[in-house]
Amino acid sequence: MLILRQLRKLNAAQRLQLGVDQSRRNLSDASLQYDKDPQPLFTDAETQRLLQSMTQLQLEKVFRKRTVADNSTETKFMTTAQLEKEFVLTIEKAKKLLQMPPVVQIKKDTERIISKDPALKDFDNSKYVFTDISFGLRPSDRKVVVRDVDGTLAYAPLETQKRMNQLYFPLDGRRSYTPRMFSDEQLLQRCLDDHKYEFILDRLTVQYEPYEAEFHNISAKVFTHLNESKQFDLLRSTRHFGPMAFFYAWHRCIDDLLYDMIRRDYPYNAVQLIALSYKIHNVPVEYGKTLSQLEALQPTPAERALEELLSRLKKPSEKGIEQEIQTAIGKTEQDFAADEISLKFIEQYIGSEHALKKVQLELAVQTLKEVNLEKLQLFKGLKKAHGVQAS
Amino acid sequence: MARLLLKHFTIANWWASEVQLGKSVSALSTPSEYVLVRNISFFNKLPAEDIWRGVTAVSNAGKKRGRGKGTGKKVAKDLNRGQTIGLGKKNFIWPGLNAPIIRGNEITHQQKQFENMDRENSIISLRDSMGNFKLMKLNPIDRGWSGTKMPGRSIGSPDAVGEENFNLFDTRVLENKIVFIMKGNMGRKRRYSVLSVTGNKNGLAGFATAKAPEVRTALRKSRNRSGQKLISIDLYENRTINHDFYTAFGKTKIFVFKKPEGYGLVCHRAIQTICKVIGIQDLYAKIEGSTNLQHIVKAFFIGLMRQKSYNDIANEIKLHVVERQMAKNGFTEIKASPVQDLQISENNRFIDFMQFTLGNKIVLRKKKIPPYYVNSKGHHLFECKAERFRNQSNVRLHKLVNCYM
Repeated sequence: MLILRQLRKLNAAQRLQLGVDQSRRNLSDASLQYDKDPQPLFTDAETQRLLQSMTQLQLEKVFRKRTVADNSTETKFMTTAQLEKEFVLTIEKAKKLLQMPPVVQIKKDTERIISKDPALKDFDNSKYVFTDISFGLRPSDRKVVVRDVDGTLAYAPLETQKRMNQLYFPLDGRRSYTPRMFSDEQLLQRCLDDHKYEFILDRLTVQYEPYEAEFHNISAKVFTHLNESKQFDLLRSTRHFGPMAFFYAWHRCIDDLLYDMIRRDYPYNAVQLIALSYKIHNVPVEYGKTLSQLEALQPTPAERALEELLSRLKKPSEKGIEQEIQTAIGKTEQDFAADEISLKFIEQYIGSEHALKKVQLELAVQTLKEVNLEKLQLFKGLKKAHGVQAS
Repeated sequence: MARLLLKHFTIANWWASEVQLGKSVSALSTPSEYVLVRNISFFNKLPAEDIWRGVTAVSNAGKKRGRGKGTGKKVAKDLNRGQTIGLGKKNFIWPGLNAPIIRGNEITHQQKQFENMDRENSIISLRDSMGNFKLMKLNPIDRGWSGTKMPGRSIGSPDAVGEENFNLFDTRVLENKIVFIMKGNMGRKRRYSVLSVTGNKNGLAGFATAKAPEVRTALRKSRNRSGQKLISIDLYENRTINHDFYTAFGKTKIFVFKKPEGYGLVCHRAIQTICKVIGIQDLYAKIEGSTNLQHIVKAFFIGLMRQKSYNDIANEIKLHVVERQMAKNGFTEIKASPVQDLQISENNRFIDFMQFTLGNKIVLRKKKIPPYYVNSKGHHLFECKAERFRNQSNVRLHKLVNCYM
């Protein structure tokens, strides 16, 4: 009896919450939405490569210290060969951790009736849900059907299907009710004002499927807030940077992110962002050549990270003077060459009609140029002083 | 009233005259009536203090046999405390005794005033408070391992020697016991032996034992001596030991394990106290064999001193020392690399780090004996009934947190 009462209460609460959800959906309808299916463009190999490269792979960020239940450490002896293998595995792990949640269209709920049995009308005063709970099925493949009170047997709506999946095969971290963070506008706003973007997006990814409307609404809200606060670095080297860049490129508001990239001395990423936006909007500008030129000069983030890890194996005496100069300045000769090409491309973009914040971008590019020139002079001077052959 | 006063007066007068005439009267009396009285007893020969001691204390011989351990706790009450001449039960003004004779231009008269009920009560409460032996009140923070006993308690920093002062040090008593030795002329002579450890909570610590006939002297001696025997111990991240180690002294064997941040000190109370004084915050230690306190302290300090740095270990084994942190998602960090690489194949040898640091010793893990009722029918029934509520507390908590009901 008591359990029944509890259940009824729960149902009532659910209905209430549904009302809240709907009102929120109306509120956030004004926010930016994908007008057509973004999935083909997003999963495109080139786009993925661009987004991954823009995300970067900063090891300290990917493997930063988190609050976990088990914070034990394990000390081991390893040979150099074992360590090299370990580093490769670490990079693989990092890649997995940086896998982007897909950007797909909102899935519409369609009514799929299996059979109508009027003879069964009023068999009970509540619906019956039947779930296939056989082991090993994918959540999307799991069959959930509902027998309505009027005798209709139909496939369950998406929401019910998700709920049943969560009931029988709970996903770690996903709640069967909407977390208050997502149902309460004020709480979400508080999170946003505290710049807890990664936390919101992580929880969003766990709680909702990428095809759900809530996922789109809340992530759009986060990205717009982020575009205003300009704290893009908080998402760099996380799995949400790619979708964020894709969102800005899709909605033609890349200038703030672009400015941030130039200011932080990532001109290569800036070029990639511009190229992505050209690609999405089919702008007739030839960007492929510049990209391939840059790709030849610059290693991918994973390669760069692996190189960094392997350099830790070297003893200080083994490192040559050339490398020391490079680490002191932070750039190699190839980097300087790549920067030159990318800056040229960025200037072209600023000159075109696509750029909105031209003055700001122009200034940033100028500053970067000057700094680069200074660094190059210092680099050459140091090399000469140490008698390293200029290649 | 007047008659009564008069009577008093006459009586007093008569008494005085008799005292004056006492000698002559006795001289006049006949010998047959004269009774010889020797008014000599310990009552009027000894002072009150000695008499009281005779009643309440135990003789020296008795004390040696361990009699009267509770003596000294009961103190004779001083009934004069809280009382003044002239003030009594009846609240009366006596000019010249408790009031001036002339106040201003008027002569004060004897006068009765309202009775003060509180006076009596306050005197009684004062006497009550005097009589009971009060245990010294200890702040819970200052308490040692057990009650008001010394072990575990702080006794301040060692005294400064010359210009070297020990302001940042804290000393804790580890052991305080009575020890006996035989002397040629004194016989069995007892002294107090105190073992204490001092440290600055930053990797500098020392311990020492000292003996003295008085507890206080022994404490002071031990405290100052431990300040003279400081040992430097390098800590890992300023919170734990460098690596796990095995250490022994006599029959005491200790396995000490390095633990992650927030683990706390899970070990014998003596090791706990030592760790606190040194500045170690996270550690697990398992003692096997004897738990003789002095041996534990010595073994632990020996172990701490024998710790190696990661660089030394790497050079000794000629392998990289690597640390994998779960809090960093299993990220592998190189802690130390050998100076010269020994080219060895992987199959050649495989050394476990813990095995190396523990010196191939293994902790004895005793199997826990299940309680007698585990296989009983009643317990089985209870488990069946309790099973459906196994997640109840968690669910309740979630409901409270998310208040979605």
